Amino acid sequence: MDNYFKMQIPAKSENEAFARNTLAAFVLPLSPTVEELNDLKTAVSEAVTNCVVHAYDGDGSVAIVAEIHDNMLFVTISDNGKGIEDVDKAREPMYTSGGDERSGMGFTIMETFMDSVEITSSLGQGTSVTMTKSFGVC
Amino acid sequence: MKYKYEFDQLIIELYGDVDEHYVKKIRDDIDFLISRQGISSVVFDFKNVSFVDSTGLGLIFGRYKKLLARKVELLLRNVPSHVDRVFRTSGVYSVCPKI
Ligand SMILES: Nc1ncnc2c1ncn2[C@@H]1O[C@H](COP(=O)(O)OP(=O)(O)OP(=O)(O)O)[C@@H](O)[C@H]1O
Ligand SMILES: [Mg+2]
Repeated sequence: MDNYFKMQIPAKSENEAFARNTLAAFVLPLSPTVEELNDLKTAVSEAVTNCVVHAYDGDGSVAIVAEIHDNMLFVTISDNGKGIEDVDKAREPMYTSGGDERSGMGFTIMETFMDSVEITSSLGQGTSVTMTKSFGVC
Repeated sequence: MKYKYEFDQLIIELYGDVDEHYVKKIRDDIDFLISRQGISSVVFDFKNVSFVDSTGLGLIFGRYKKLLARKVELLLRNVPSHVDRVFRTSGVYSVCPKI
């Protein structure tokens, strides 16, 4: 069955587990393997954590929209925060604006664990990351 | 997080989901533990870790840099397969060997 959900949550680290576990529950009807579920949870965690860590100086929110068509998941995770100046640079492995405590591997992990990752961002407006993954096809 | 010493090796056991929420609570405690003199190596034990994302990598790379200055090795132990996948993607094993 095609399906969708939308949710909006405060951009707080407390919500990271809630967000990734919600997505995992949403794709259960597609009979994902344990590995596929872990990949999805990790990629969702990366995108949500970026909203929590990078998007806002103060409070803000994260919007998650997910759709299932056939065996495909489409998930968009977005914020209304400060945006990314140079998206190509941000995607590079090891690039981080976060100093010594961040590895700069978030986007690389999303790209490795999902079928596609699309980033749109504008300064002062926010960032939106859309990822797709198909399940049950090897 | 739990810790113990095996001779001059400091073992740090991580628990549950190692994400931003968890790491920001334990980072300072870990830094305090590893700052102790006389430690020959530090081991992060992942036996009880259910999930890890890049924030966990940041925790490892950050401690690795601090320990490197003192020539103290950082080792990763009991890495479950779902954690291993994230670690392999990041190349962390090239600086912190898996034991
Ligand atoms: N939602 C966002 N809002 C603003 N900037 C962002 C956002 N997401 C990513 N960025 C920028 O892109 C950079 C790269 O992101 P990426 O997730 O790859 O690495 P990181 O978050 O810095 O480190 P890690 O994910 O390894 O903890 C970030 O350092 C930040 O500058
Ligand atoms: Mg990140």
